[in-house]
Amino acid sequence: MFSYEFMQRAFWAGGLIGIIGPLLGVYLMLRRQVLMADTLSHVSLAGVALGSVLHLNPALSGFAVAVIGGIVIEQLRRSYRTYSELPVAIIMTSGLALAVVLMSLKQNLSKSFSSYLFGSIVAVSNIQLLIIAIVAAIGLAFFIVLRRPLYNLTFDEETASISGVRVGLLSFSFAVLTGMTVAAAMPVVGVLLVSALIVLPASIALRVASGFTAAILISIGVGLIGVFSGLTASYYINTPPGGTISLILLTFLLISIAVQKLIRLKNRRNIHKPI
Amino acid sequence: MVLSSMRNVVFGYGNEPVIDNLSLDIHTGQFIGITGPNGAAKTTLLKLMLGLLRPWSGTISLNKELEDNGKLVIGYVPQQVSSFNAGFPSKVIELVRSGCYSRLGLFRRFTAEQEQIVERSLKQVDMWEFRNRKIGELSGGQKQRICIARALAQQPQVLVLDEPTTGMDLASRTGFYQLMRHYVSQHGRTVIMVTHGLEETNSYLDSVISLERKENEGWKCLVTNSCSVHFGPEG
Repeated sequence: MFSYEFMQRAFWAGGLIGIIGPLLGVYLMLRRQVLMADTLSHVSLAGVALGSVLHLNPALSGFAVAVIGGIVIEQLRRSYRTYSELPVAIIMTSGLALAVVLMSLKQNLSKSFSSYLFGSIVAVSNIQLLIIAIVAAIGLAFFIVLRRPLYNLTFDEETASISGVRVGLLSFSFAVLTGMTVAAAMPVVGVLLVSALIVLPASIALRVASGFTAAILISIGVGLIGVFSGLTASYYINTPPGGTISLILLTFLLISIAVQKLIRLKNRRNIHKPI
Repeated sequence: MVLSSMRNVVFGYGNEPVIDNLSLDIHTGQFIGITGPNGAAKTTLLKLMLGLLRPWSGTISLNKELEDNGKLVIGYVPQQVSSFNAGFPSKVIELVRSGCYSRLGLFRRFTAEQEQIVERSLKQVDMWEFRNRKIGELSGGQKQRICIARALAQQPQVLVLDEPTTGMDLASRTGFYQLMRHYVSQHGRTVIMVTHGLEETNSYLDSVISLERKENEGWKCLVTNSCSVHFGPEG
């Protein structure tokens, strides 16, 4: 499998996204912004379509539009605090509608778009791998350097603001990073399943972790295992990588729920056991 | 010394002002209670003071002379921390340690002294033995107590508490008021607390800001002891 250069690229890309996506996912879930990843992937697709129509590099235009989308969502979230899911829903449908219309203007590109929708190992080009590497490096630096203010921001924005955290700036940087990560992850898992790679490992981690650092490490671990096993399976059984990775992560989530239920049941039985 | 000054402050939600032309001076080294019925804008007044809300008109200023290393450290315990509802994946000790982050900055390591402050803060609210528990597993009163411990771990010059004893039993409430009184009297700190139970807290407080609704006059702010406050144009 690794004798093929495209598989090496896919594993590098998948490994990097498998670290940064689940790490971002923990924060997105705790900030109740799970839908943001989905929304930005649709917006990014519109960017890819726009790039094709305007004869620009689709990877770069998709990336730029996802980042702008992240900033717009963050601005709207601050303006519509009570209905913060409303702007997300509007932008998601607008992004998809724009992508569909723009795609229809470029009929001959439908094959390339299907690789963006469902993800494709061969779709990871050298320039995309470079983008993913840069995003992963920026993301890791962001989460390591700013881990303390991010913890306070994620726990409660008001107390964070009073304790001196620059909440507005940090939230905007976080939104930009989300846009970058979503755009970078698209070639590996596809538009439709990009949020699976970001959200599923985090949801497993938040179920089982005892502390915040543990949640982040478990999320990254699950993400990496899911990506590597998914890419391997998709290579051997010839299935779309995005769907395979998502199904494996979904299986992990179901197993974690079942194991937790069994442990709880066992504990309850031990408590009620007659002496 | 004046800690915070509000001058001719007007603020409201929608078109209706809930605070209308308020001028108020908060002094340092006092235990101040803010009281009033539901909807009297007690939390709004706190948030205006803290800069979390911007007034429609008027000015709010904090005394720069009190700044420590260019920063006035304020510990804030809100009425409700929504993260608790979502099962924020944090141990009690992890959360209380995060109170030290504002003094530590991005990279400075925890010193033995800071670890002691964290331990002392948890012991002061009787939560030390729960330090390795997940915060989602705690009761409402216990959650409130670790939020207070987190604010104490900040070593704030000013402690701002919005109904901090919600969910606490009588013994815990009494212990808490005594702790705050000690914090003010022995360490010269300032504590501002929104409270409903004035009869329970009155003996511990230095000043009370009482927001009351007067027939045909709207909300009025009455004050006892040394807070200076009035509605209407300054001067």
